[in-house]
Amino acid sequence: MQKIEISRRKFMQGSVALCVYATSSFSTTTSSSKLSNFTEENIPYLCNMCRNKCAGFARVVNNKVEKLNPNKYFPKSRNMLCPKGNAGIDALYDIDRLKYPLIRIGDRGDGRYKRVTWDEANEYIKEKLVTIIDEEKDNRSTLAFCNGEGFNKDEYIKFFGSKIGSANFLDEGSICLNTKLGATQLTIGDVGEMDVAGSDYLIISGANRYESLITPDSVDMIHSSQKLVVLDPRCTVTALKADEYLPLYPGTDLAFCLSLIYTAIKEKLYNETYVKEYFKDFDKLEEHILSNNYTPLWAESKTHIPAKKIEQIAHQFFKAQRPLYYLGRRSVWSANDFQLRRAMVLINALAGSVNREGGIIFGKPFTLEKEEINEPYYNASEGRFDLDGIVYGSQKGGSWLNFREKVLSNKAPYPVRAMFIRKHNIMQNMPNIAKTKEMLGKMDLVVVLDTMPSDTALMADVILPECTYLEREDMVVSFNRLEPSLALRNQVIKPLYESKSMQDILKGLGKKLSKPLFDISAKYDEDLQDSIKEIGARKSFVEGGYDLAELYKENTTKRNQKLIKKQFGDDIYNSLKTKGVWHPFIEQEKELGNDYYEYYPKEKRFYTVKRDYKVHCYLKKLKKSGFDPMPTWHNKYDFILPKDNFRLITGRYITSTQTATTNNAMLKEFQEKNYVWINDRVAKKLEIQEGDSLVLSSPINSIVIQAYPTNKIAPQVLWFAHGFGTSSEELTNAYGKGASDNMIIEDKFEKIYGCATMHETNITIRKL
Amino acid sequence: MANYGMAFDYKLCINCHACEVACKEENGIDLGAKNHRLWIQEEGDVEGDFWNLERDKISFMQRQCQECQDAPCLKACPNGAIYIDENGIVRLHKEKCDLTLACMKACPYDARYIDEKNHVTDKCIFCADTRLSRGEITTACQITCPAKLRYFGDLDDEESEISKVLKARKHFTLKPELGTKPKLFYLE
Repeated sequence: MQKIEISRRKFMQGSVALCVYATSSFSTTTSSSKLSNFTEENIPYLCNMCRNKCAGFARVVNNKVEKLNPNKYFPKSRNMLCPKGNAGIDALYDIDRLKYPLIRIGDRGDGRYKRVTWDEANEYIKEKLVTIIDEEKDNRSTLAFCNGEGFNKDEYIKFFGSKIGSANFLDEGSICLNTKLGATQLTIGDVGEMDVAGSDYLIISGANRYESLITPDSVDMIHSSQKLVVLDPRCTVTALKADEYLPLYPGTDLAFCLSLIYTAIKEKLYNETYVKEYFKDFDKLEEHILSNNYTPLWAESKTHIPAKKIEQIAHQFFKAQRPLYYLGRRSVWSANDFQLRRAMVLINALAGSVNREGGIIFGKPFTLEKEEINEPYYNASEGRFDLDGIVYGSQKGGSWLNFREKVLSNKAPYPVRAMFIRKHNIMQNMPNIAKTKEMLGKMDLVVVLDTMPSDTALMADVILPECTYLEREDMVVSFNRLEPSLALRNQVIKPLYESKSMQDILKGLGKKLSKPLFDISAKYDEDLQDSIKEIGARKSFVEGGYDLAELYKENTTKRNQKLIKKQFGDDIYNSLKTKGVWHPFIEQEKELGNDYYEYYPKEKRFYTVKRDYKVHCYLKKLKKSGFDPMPTWHNKYDFILPKDNFRLITGRYITSTQTATTNNAMLKEFQEKNYVWINDRVAKKLEIQEGDSLVLSSPINSIVIQAYPTNKIAPQVLWFAHGFGTSSEELTNAYGKGASDNMIIEDKFEKIYGCATMHETNITIRKL
Repeated sequence: MANYGMAFDYKLCINCHACEVACKEENGIDLGAKNHRLWIQEEGDVEGDFWNLERDKISFMQRQCQECQDAPCLKACPNGAIYIDENGIVRLHKEKCDLTLACMKACPYDARYIDEKNHVTDKCIFCADTRLSRGEITTACQITCPAKLRYFGDLDDEESEISKVLKARKHFTLKPELGTKPKLFYLE
C-alpha cells in the first residue's frame, strides 16, 4: 500500500526532467564572500511558526536570511528547531505575502483590492470608524477586536481596549484550551506548568505531543525514561512511541479518569498525607465517586479499555514516585471537557503530584514590570456580552461562538459594527465557517492586520500588511516557571516590501484616530465636556490619555532597553541582545552530551515553592448555576452513534500549524493536503480505497476529501487534519488542497468557559 | 583532516522532518519532494485490528548516503567524477559529472538524486561545502534534531563523542553483506 499519509518514502528517481526549479529559501552557496561589502551575522530571534516561541539564531548574509539554527541558551526549546521552525525562511520570503496596504474594491471575499499608501488606508479607516462611533454615541464596544498571536496580544489589547475603549476582545482561548486553564486555576488556584521531564510515569489522553510539538514537553518526553501511557481513538506517533497504548472511543477519557479516581479512593492508593493537608471537600468527592460506582468495569463499558488494564494503570500510576497525568493543550473536544480537565488535575493531586518534581508545578516565573499607560475613561462604552450564559468564561478573551451567535441573532445588547482582526484566521479557525462569513458580512468595517492573504484577510475592507516575526523586535517576554528565563525577539532583517510591525501600524492608526475620536467623546461624554470647560480641550486630551499613539512614541527597541535595564540591569539586557535569552545560569550551562544541555542545576529549579493553596474538589458556583460541581458522567456522553454515522475528530500534522503554514513552500512538500482517516475494515466493507474521494456530510455542510483507510483509527471515527482547504486563491500553494474541518464541524460550545467543542459532530459519508 | 561518520540513536526518532527541512535550507536543495539528501523512512507496519494493534514492527530510519569506505558509486562512475575527500567524505567533481546516472544505479542505499539546478547527481556530504567549510562542527540535521539522535564526528578521534558512543553501544550498518563498509551506524 502506498503511504500517502505517513512518511515520505524515498522516491525512485526516473527521468532527468530538467524542468523549472525552485530552490529552498534563498540559500545557495554563493561567491558573495568575495564582495567587498559582505556581511554575515548570527542574530538571536524567537520563532513564531507556532505558539511555542522557540529560540534560534538567524544566519544573515548581506541582509538576507540564509538559515535558521537552534539557540542553545534557551531552557524552553532545548537547542532544537522543528521542521516548521526551520521553514520560517519560507514564511519570510513567501511570494504570496501581503506586501502593501490594500483597500477592497470588489465584494467581500472575492479578492479584488487596490494598492494604497499607508496614509490612504488609515484615512479610510478613520472615515468609517468615526462615523460608526459617532452613530453609536461613543459606545466604543461597537468595535470588536481579536488577535490570535501571542507575543503582541497585550500591546494590541492596550490599543483597542485600554486606549480606544472597547470591551469586546476575542482571542483563540475559547477555540483552544480555556477549559484546561480554568479547570486547573479553579481546582488548585493556579494554571501551573507540567514538569514532564521530572515525571516517572506519564499518562497522556488525546494530546499528540510528537505530532503537535510543545516545548519543552515534547523534547523532554524524548529525552526522559518515564513510562508513557497514551489514550487516543487514533494511533498517533505519540501512541506509536508509548510504552502502553490504550485505544478508546472519542470523548470517553472522562470515564477512564473517573475510574482511576475510583480505584485510588476505593483501594486507598492516593497520597493520604497530601490529601489530608490540601484537599477541600474530599469527603464529597469520595462519596460522589463511590456512590456512582465508577469502577474499572463500568469504565470499560464506556471507553472500550479493558477493566483489568485500567486497574493495572491505576496501580502503576499511584505507586509511581512522580506520576503525571498530562493536562493537554489545544482544543476542547467534548461537552464534558471542563470536568475532564478537572478530573485530570484531581488525579494528579490525589497522587500528591502538585507543587513537586514531576507534577503540576507552580514554580517561580520572572515578573516583568509593566509600562504605565494613561487610559481614557469612556462613560458610553458598554461591557462585553459574550459571557452571558457562561458560568466562568475568560474575561480576557471571551467566547467566540457565543459572541458570533449573539451578533448574528441580533441578541447583542448593542450593534457590533467594526472588527479589527490581527493574525487570527477566523474564517478557518472556528466551527461553521458560513456563520463567520455571515457575521463579517454584517460589519460596516473590517480591518485585517496579517502577513498572509488568508481567507479572513479577503473578507476585509482594509488590509494592513504586518511584517513577519523575523523583521521586528517585540517586547521582552518572561518564560516558564520551573526553569524561568527571559527571552527577546530581536529584529533579524528590516521589514520587507511596505510591511510594518504591529506597533508601527498602531502608531500610524493612533495618530490618525486620536483627535477625531476625542471629538466624538467630547460630543457625548458629559464628564469630558466638564473637563474641557474646566481645563481646556488640549489639557483634557493629554491628561485624559486620549493620545492613542502614546504607547508607541518610542520604538520597541528603546522601550525594551529602558524596561530591561531598569529592572534587570545592563548585563541582562546585553545577554538578551546577543544571546536572545537570559537566565541566572546561562554562563554555567552544562552539556549533557551531543549538544543537549542542562540549564538550571537541579537543586536550583523551582519544583516546590512556598504556597498557600487548596485542592478544590467541589465548585459551589457550578452547583448554583445548575452544573456538576464535581466530575460526573452522564449517559449523554456515551459514545453511541446513529446508524451509518461517524464521529469526526480533528488534529494536526507535525509540519503544520493550523492554517498558518499550509502555504509554506517547504512544508507543503511533507503534507500538501489532508486525507480523511477511516478504519481499514470499515473502508473495505464500504468498498472505499485509498485516494477515493468521499463526501463528508454533517448537519451543517458537506466537503469532499480523499480517503486514507488505516487500521490506526477506531471504527465509527473519522479523522482529518485541521488547516487545509483554504478558499483564498491568493495562497497559491494552499488553495484547493484538501478540505477544511470547520466547514462541517457544528458550532456547539460548552457553557462553563464558552469553548467550542470540536469533537461533537457526527458525519455520514458517500463515495463520489 | 578527519574521518567523519555519523551514528543514529534511531529509536528516538519521532519522524518530525526537522532534519530534512534543515538540510534543504542549509544546502539550498531544490524544492520538490523528490529532491533530498536525507530522509526518514518508515519501516514496517502497524499490524492488526485497531483495538489490538501491534506497534513494535514499525521504526523510523534515518536514510542518507552511508559514506561507504568501499563505495559502489565511486567505482561505477565512468567519468571518475567521484572521490573521497580529505575528511573521508564521498564527494563529486561536479564538472566531471555528465549525468550518466551510473552512481545512482550502483548505490544500494538509494542515496542520490538528480540535482536539476547543477545538472549533477547529489547526496549528503555532511554539509561539507556549507557548515564544515565555514568551520562549524555540526551538520544541519544533527544540530536541529529535537531528539539529538545524530552523533556526528571524527571516527579516528578516540575522544570524539561518536567514537565513544560506538565503543559503548552495540550498533549495526545497513546491508553489511554488500561489503561497502558504511561509516553510518545505527545504535541498538
